[in-house]
Amino acid sequence: MVELIINGTQVTVETDAGKPLLWVLREDLEVLGPKYGCGIAQCGACRVLINGESAPSCVTPIGSVAGASVVTVEGLAQQGGMLSVVQQAWIDEQVPQCGFCQPGFIIATTALLEATSQPTDAEIDEAITNICRCGTYPRIRRAIHRAAAILAER
Amino acid sequence: MPRFLSRRGFLITGAALGGTALVAAVGGAGYLASVDVDGLDGHLYGERAVLNAFVVIQPDSRVIVNVPKTEMGQGIHTGLAMVVAEELDIPFDDRISVVFPTEAHPAYSTWFNLLQIRPEEASGPIVWVGRRVLGQLGFIATGASGSTMGMWHPMRVAGASARHMLLAAAAARLDVPAADLATGDGFVRHEASGQHLSYGELAREAALLQPPDHPALKPASEWRIIGRSQPRVDLPAKVRGEPVFGMDIALPDMVHAAIRHAPVFGAKVARVVNEAEVRAAPGVRDVAVIDGQKVAVVAVSWWQAEQAASLLNIAWTQTEANGVTSAEMSARLKTALGSTEPYENINEGDVEAAIAGSTSPTIDATYEVPFLTHACMEPINATVLVRDDLVAEAWVSSQSPMAIRQGVARGAGLAGIEPISVTCNVTMNGGAFGRRSDQDVVAEAAFLAARHRGRPVKLIWSREEDIARGLFRSHAAARLRAALGADGLPMAYDALVATQSITQAIASRNLPFTPGPDGDRLSVEGLDKLHYAIPNRRMRSQHVPSHMPIHFWRSNGFSFNTFFTESFIDECALAARADPLAYRRALLRANPRHLAVLNRVAELAKWGTPMAPGRGRGIAIEECYRSVVAQVVEVTVAEDGEITVDRVFCAIDAGLVINPDAVVAQMEGGISFGVTTALMSAITLDAGTVMESNFHDFPMQRIADAPAVEVAIMESDEPPCGVGEPGVVPVAAAIANAIHAATGRRIRSLPLAITETNGERRRRTVLRRIAT
Ligand code: FES
Ligand code: FES
Repeated sequence: MVELIINGTQVTVETDAGKPLLWVLREDLEVLGPKYGCGIAQCGACRVLINGESAPSCVTPIGSVAGASVVTVEGLAQQGGMLSVVQQAWIDEQVPQCGFCQPGFIIATTALLEATSQPTDAEIDEAITNICRCGTYPRIRRAIHRAAAILAER
Repeated sequence: MPRFLSRRGFLITGAALGGTALVAAVGGAGYLASVDVDGLDGHLYGERAVLNAFVVIQPDSRVIVNVPKTEMGQGIHTGLAMVVAEELDIPFDDRISVVFPTEAHPAYSTWFNLLQIRPEEASGPIVWVGRRVLGQLGFIATGASGSTMGMWHPMRVAGASARHMLLAAAAARLDVPAADLATGDGFVRHEASGQHLSYGELAREAALLQPPDHPALKPASEWRIIGRSQPRVDLPAKVRGEPVFGMDIALPDMVHAAIRHAPVFGAKVARVVNEAEVRAAPGVRDVAVIDGQKVAVVAVSWWQAEQAASLLNIAWTQTEANGVTSAEMSARLKTALGSTEPYENINEGDVEAAIAGSTSPTIDATYEVPFLTHACMEPINATVLVRDDLVAEAWVSSQSPMAIRQGVARGAGLAGIEPISVTCNVTMNGGAFGRRSDQDVVAEAAFLAARHRGRPVKLIWSREEDIARGLFRSHAAARLRAALGADGLPMAYDALVATQSITQAIASRNLPFTPGPDGDRLSVEGLDKLHYAIPNRRMRSQHVPSHMPIHFWRSNGFSFNTFFTESFIDECALAARADPLAYRRALLRANPRHLAVLNRVAELAKWGTPMAPGRGRGIAIEECYRSVVAQVVEVTVAEDGEITVDRVFCAIDAGLVINPDAVVAQMEGGISFGVTTALMSAITLDAGTVMESNFHDFPMQRIADAPAVEVAIMESDEPPCGVGEPGVVPVAAAIANAIHAATGRRIRSLPLAITETNGERRRRTVLRRIAT
């Protein structure tokens, strides 16, 4: 039995402590935003914020995050459903193609901008290691800069 | 112009299929040109008014557009909804939603792809019969960059027809002539009296009216939506992380399945050595051998199913392919290039005589590309329910509801069940690239569902199964020869490709009949170079079978042939001491459309401006999917041989463009796909088995490797052409040409690497970056 906070809600899950957080989210809690893309911490489709840090949930055993606060892409929009600055930048730049990888990119970007408010291209290259098979990278880069600029105005 | 919406339609369809005599009786070409039998009569469906097969209006005036095309990232739901909104005369905003219809009306059939004809140009008895037959078969598929090409006109007519019916309903209600009415913003207005009625108010009456025979289409000069970038209708849900993909399906009582396929394709399951152990693993409900060829584990969660599947100890039968390696495949292809009797696709003039008579040395080069796989971001999956009463339903991120229907029938059939009906729900696809047109995973899930009746079974292939045990782009090699004339341009061009017939491989898995391997269009596309003025031309192909399951793969034959041919044209230019751009201009002198695209990309890239040492520029052009696309690539080659693609410039004539931003996105995405392929991708074989298994050894481009991309869309008089695949096509050749410009070295095989070692090192570089 593991207790943790998912998108602000306290939950208790009864499951094997070795089950990856990704599959607890997707199967036990029906939080389907984080995606399975590789299962080996390569693609980033499963990324969530664990106590504010972006982490691949596919290799994070649920037992290791007891008591943690986990935020998935579903938890980014504000009260009333307004998109987060990063999500809105994703719409404004028309980033997604198929969209399967995008929850992971949006999470990784949210964490990046928390740590580095005005990332350079080199810092983006360093921090954003997710895979997008559809090749939306030029737009992701633009959307990150756009979100950074909007956050700076606040 | 054919009509798409007719109340008489159904009757004619029924009769026509009754016998060829009747087809012949109505076979006058003039009649056929004007008759259409694809219509769905308007009707009421609960609160909704169904005006035709494509347009549904709710009482609150919201419009639902039925788009029988899979959204897999290309933006087709948006593009085709734009067309309907334009003709319906409504703003393109969130009052419009798009659904993939579950019905298989003939109006949704993808007949134009198979018949290779645009609906607006279709007429005559062959087209008429082809449409009838394909419509009745429920042939609905998304691919071949053909969705806008094939659907934009029918959907225009559908929008215009619906608007006409709304006008007629308003005219009747207000008792005024329809000619005095105008539409706009979702209302019909009578200016003289100031009265107005919303579409929602009128739709139920409109739906029951006779559709017009030839609804007038809005002239292009009045378009306000077509040709102006609109935001994608599917993106809000996608950035919120809403469950829109096949993998996200969650149903009551659902069980989950994982699977293991044979390491050597064609091997059979001799025995599951430890079945009892696997059955005893936590959560496991079933261990099933499917069709003697694969083993699935069904459990209460996918994680448990996958954990248990990884315990499986399966004894596989030996096959002839057990010893096959990539080196041996390569040798087989090279041997085939020496074939004395390849299939002759084109033979114009006399290539051999021209080569023999030429005074300049023959240019003769051999190229090669490896097997590849799609690696769609969403791993392959399907969810199927077979109810106790044998009514079935499937939810699949698929490119084809027909493939779903057939897959369910096949899989259930293997379990001895014949479903009474199959409802096909096509979800959003997390990438497809041709991969999701096969029935394979659907049949597997259906087999399991038939064993677990009453429970939905969701089968997910692990990424390892997807990369190593799935479907592949063929391994191919080509020998190209040319003799140059006094002006340096080719007098003779002789192309021979050796590869496995793509069409035959796909048909053997998915169709009841399998064509012979020769004359496979997909194997030779990109090889003919018909747009280049060359007096003697021969194009031949040699089928080389393998045990590998070959499938559609974004741009098919173009993905290798254009690499071969556009590299080769550069080699010819070099031999002629000509600038590669000037050389192509000369070859395209009779083709103004191609020339314009070539000139545009050269201008965009500032072709001819000097570059620093170690840097180079390469160019390539192709005509594909009725579009003409050209690219210039800039590379940097480091001292140690590391290749970086810095910038890619792209110009495309895609005909009339509905949603320009979506075309730019497809070029950007296609270029990324092409650069990944050119620099990183290879599926290799050892002992008959694929050696790669996940993104650590089948690496993908990441943002740090992604070049800057600049796209120019040409003004064009052509109707819409394909854009999903063309962006991929010229990239590899343009990079190879740029590497030559930078280093003087010609690389004739993919992935491009200065040396083997550097190829390996590149993979490790990518990995190291991720690990830290
Ligand atoms: S699924 Fe976790 S990184 Fe790919
Ligand atoms: S949008 Fe399809 S994988 Fe990124």
